[in-house]
Amino acid sequence: MKKLALSACIAASVAAPLTFADDDLRINGFLSVGASMADSNDAHFDGSDNQGGFKNDNVLGLQFSKQINDSTSATGQLVSRGADDYSTEAAWAFVTYAATDDLDVRMGRLRIPFFYYSDFLEVGYAYNWVRPPSEVYRLPFSSVDGIDLTQRFSSGDIDGSVQLYYGRYNGDFKYDGFTYGADFRNFTGITLNTNMGNFGSRLSYHQAELIINDAPAGSPVAGIGTFGPDFQMTGQTTTFVEAALTYDNGTSSMIAEWTQLDYGTAAFLDDTAWLVAYAHRLGDISLHATYSEQKDEYESGANGAIQKAVGLGVEESSIILGMRWDYDSSTALKFEAQYNDETMYAGVDGDSAMLYSVAVDVVF
Amino acid sequence: MKLFKHSCSALLISVASTIAVADTSVIVSASNSNSTLDQTTVSKIFLGKAKRFPDGSQALPVDQDEGSTVREAFNTSVLGKSDSQLKSYWSRLIFTGKGTPPKPSGDDAAVKDLVAKNPNIIGYIDSSAVDASVKVVHTF
Repeated sequence: MKKLALSACIAASVAAPLTFADDDLRINGFLSVGASMADSNDAHFDGSDNQGGFKNDNVLGLQFSKQINDSTSATGQLVSRGADDYSTEAAWAFVTYAATDDLDVRMGRLRIPFFYYSDFLEVGYAYNWVRPPSEVYRLPFSSVDGIDLTQRFSSGDIDGSVQLYYGRYNGDFKYDGFTYGADFRNFTGITLNTNMGNFGSRLSYHQAELIINDAPAGSPVAGIGTFGPDFQMTGQTTTFVEAALTYDNGTSSMIAEWTQLDYGTAAFLDDTAWLVAYAHRLGDISLHATYSEQKDEYESGANGAIQKAVGLGVEESSIILGMRWDYDSSTALKFEAQYNDETMYAGVDGDSAMLYSVAVDVVF
Repeated sequence: MKLFKHSCSALLISVASTIAVADTSVIVSASNSNSTLDQTTVSKIFLGKAKRFPDGSQALPVDQDEGSTVREAFNTSVLGKSDSQLKSYWSRLIFTGKGTPPKPSGDDAAVKDLVAKNPNIIGYIDSSAVDASVKVVHTF
């Protein structure tokens, strides 16, 4: 069947060689399935505990793209996540206009480029972990509705891109186990990606005006506004900065990524998180090791005391050791063990636990 | 080693011709005005980092089918990446709408045919399959 389609396509290209450019509908997809088990409930893992987690790492994505004419294309990506009870969401839905060879303008639903792995956050096949370390990859939403510009550049051995975006996020905001209603306005940011040989770097800055509604009863943030103007969530500007360095020579690869989140309100805690990861590739097998940590910062004085009293505050680190086996050019099998140490959880002393995970990632 | 190679070709007579060590040629149409391309340029075109030939005309790379010996040689020698690495590279671009891999377009004969008929297409074939319809711009 594949052969037939292929020969048909060759025949078509041969018959009309000048319209070779791909104007057909392209469909690509990815699927990850995973299972995990913690050795105790002394630490907190998203979607898993000592009775196992068989849903949280399951993700199905389907992407459709269509070149409309020489300069315009449409892309849509539907993602169904086990972590969201398999409700399907458009992670991406945008129209691209290629203004020049090196300048793209996109409009629609876009992935927010917070992190190095943001663009392919859910495509497990594209990285070695079962899931990106949650200490750093902690922002609970990943898409924004808006517009962006990407300018690529290349000079000698150096190439890269600058991306600018502007939009608004209206949806759920999960924080320390509770879900809030969020309206993040004037959401904007800039990203600079640079590659030179085996080295790469990424710098990004983001900001938005946060309006949080519907704090669920029992959440630390419910009623926190009564503590004074510093605790308001009515459009104060929050900022996020990120820096990453990468190296990959085909055998050894490394990434170091550092991030800092600074809330304009005392209702949530500012924090810093970073990771370093190393992977060694031996043919179809990759072995990797990662250290990641995240630390909330209380404000000084009375505000900090209130933050602690209502039960805000997490400080944790993880060590991940894992193996990835590419048993086919489009399928990867992964095993990993994670030691998670929660120095502090919900403002009080925490504990530690191990999480064992296995996953299969496919792209098609 | 020689003995091993020898017995190998004896065993696999049907594919012996592809096992025999031969050069691979990166080709464009005879009517394409570029004369030679260095490895960096070829690599940039096949990784989607450059969309044009040095003379400014549009470049459309095509791959051979997955599993072909020539394709593996090209990936390793010119792009410096294994099949899995390339798949991972493209999965990072495909799923962000930032690029699509070169289209798998058959074997030496099929690629040569496509290249010969369209001055924008660039491909690679076993050097033994080169004829006057195409122009060699890089060999390895």
